[in-house]
Amino acid sequence: MAIDKTIMVELTDAFSDAISDVDVPSANRAEARIDGSKVTEIMQFLRDKGFDHLSCISGVDYPPDKMEVVYHVTSYSAPLIITLKATLSRDDPNIDSLCAIYWNANWYERETWEMFGIVFNDCPYLKVLILPEEMDGEWPMRRDYAGYPNAT
Amino acid sequence: MTHENTQITSPPSPSEILLHLGPQHPLQPGPFLLDLKIEGETIREAELKIGYIHKGMEKVFEDRTYIQIMPLTDRICYLASNANNDVYCRAVEELLGIEPTPRAKYLRVITNELNRIQSHLLGIGEYTTDVGFLTMFIYMVRERESIVSLLEAITGSRLNHNYARFGGVANDLPPNYKSMALKTLGEVGKLVKSHDEMMSSDSIYLKRTKGVGVLTDKVASELGVAGPPLRATGVEYDLRRIEPYLVYDDLDFKVITQQDGDVFSRVKVRLLEIQESIYIIEQCLDQMPSGPYKQHVTPYITRPKVGEVYTRIEDPRGELAMYLVSDGSNKPYRFRIRGPAFATAQALPPLLIGTYMADVAAIAASMDSCTSEVDR
Repeated sequence: MAIDKTIMVELTDAFSDAISDVDVPSANRAEARIDGSKVTEIMQFLRDKGFDHLSCISGVDYPPDKMEVVYHVTSYSAPLIITLKATLSRDDPNIDSLCAIYWNANWYERETWEMFGIVFNDCPYLKVLILPEEMDGEWPMRRDYAGYPNAT
Repeated sequence: MTHENTQITSPPSPSEILLHLGPQHPLQPGPFLLDLKIEGETIREAELKIGYIHKGMEKVFEDRTYIQIMPLTDRICYLASNANNDVYCRAVEELLGIEPTPRAKYLRVITNELNRIQSHLLGIGEYTTDVGFLTMFIYMVRERESIVSLLEAITGSRLNHNYARFGGVANDLPPNYKSMALKTLGEVGKLVKSHDEMMSSDSIYLKRTKGVGVLTDKVASELGVAGPPLRATGVEYDLRRIEPYLVYDDLDFKVITQQDGDVFSRVKVRLLEIQESIYIIEQCLDQMPSGPYKQHVTPYITRPKVGEVYTRIEDPRGELAMYLVSDGSNKPYRFRIRGPAFATAQALPPLLIGTYMADVAAIAASMDSCTSEVDR
């Protein structure tokens, strides 16, 4: 099974209502915006198509009203990296966990949760990973974080 | 693969005990806490707790200009400081739309490979102390010293090199570097080969490492592992080959793999990669063009256009990536570090379950973790 950028066409066909802003800037990169509520279906689709390696999950904060979760999905046999971004509301940021699809999503989700306060529904053991326990609920990587104890 | 095997799920029963390894332990490369629930000699559950040297680097970088970040990337992991410099530099170059000069590309490959050799040598050295082979640690550190001196001759420092620059590198090679390097590399290559033979033929060492801590290719890729632990299972995943950067396209090298996925294979991969890196450096010294080692004007004050970039490199420990989001100002809007040791550390608890207490140190050390980079 060829792992190349034609996957973006297949992905758009399969999830036409959940994918937008598809862009293929170079041979090894492709990106799209996704609907956060469909993230598990989309990732399962990619995994079945040979994207067997979740490279990273990152949070990005855009005050005053938006947050983004950025997924970088790739394969152990091809250089193509797909960047998928889900925009969340900053008041109640939550998205489904990928732990059932990619085992290694666990720590990335825990880190994104403790740093940004983005809740990953059904993530097992969503508790502080890198931060000390007293900083639970501080969300220090938010852009407007003003210091400990939380002065935001 | 379930997630229960990453946690201690229940208090120990009367036949079990809970053992805390760390956060300060003589065997550890840095502070982390490994909780083990043991029944007799067997590990029943394992949980890794990290964050003891969290430096908040991603947050700090949001408040530094692009060139100020360069020396700080060294500190993500001091053993892979060239790899960190280089991947960051390539990320910014991609945002700026510039290319390093041809000579600078070769210089970066040379320093990256020297860096890989010294990281592997120290990694193997630390590991051999953990399996009770202290003599080998002394040998490995001795060999590493001469490699570090080769790096020092180019970059001016022994550990945190701060060598890459946007569009080039900080210094050119010193005079007569080629003959000096070839001599040292030849000697180190021979010595490492003899150490390899010594380790592969020692019956006690083989008993201690063969068939211990086995990862299969399927499990390793499911756990998201990369680098030597993955290649030891037979998967040919090396970013230098899969996604060639700098001049790796023009160089001849093998992707080292082993089939067994045990402690022995992981160390064997590193030992063979040292020879392969020496071969790469020799080719670079022969092939590298003359010419400028940096751009005519190095862009120190940088305002990349709005955009984002995800750059990867084959770090000594695996797949290192940086995700930069630029909002057009002179500081990155978001700076994400995806370290290889973080991924490897996450895969450690499931690997320990069912193994013997006496093998924990060997398995953990053969994964070659770096706490500094796990915590960032």
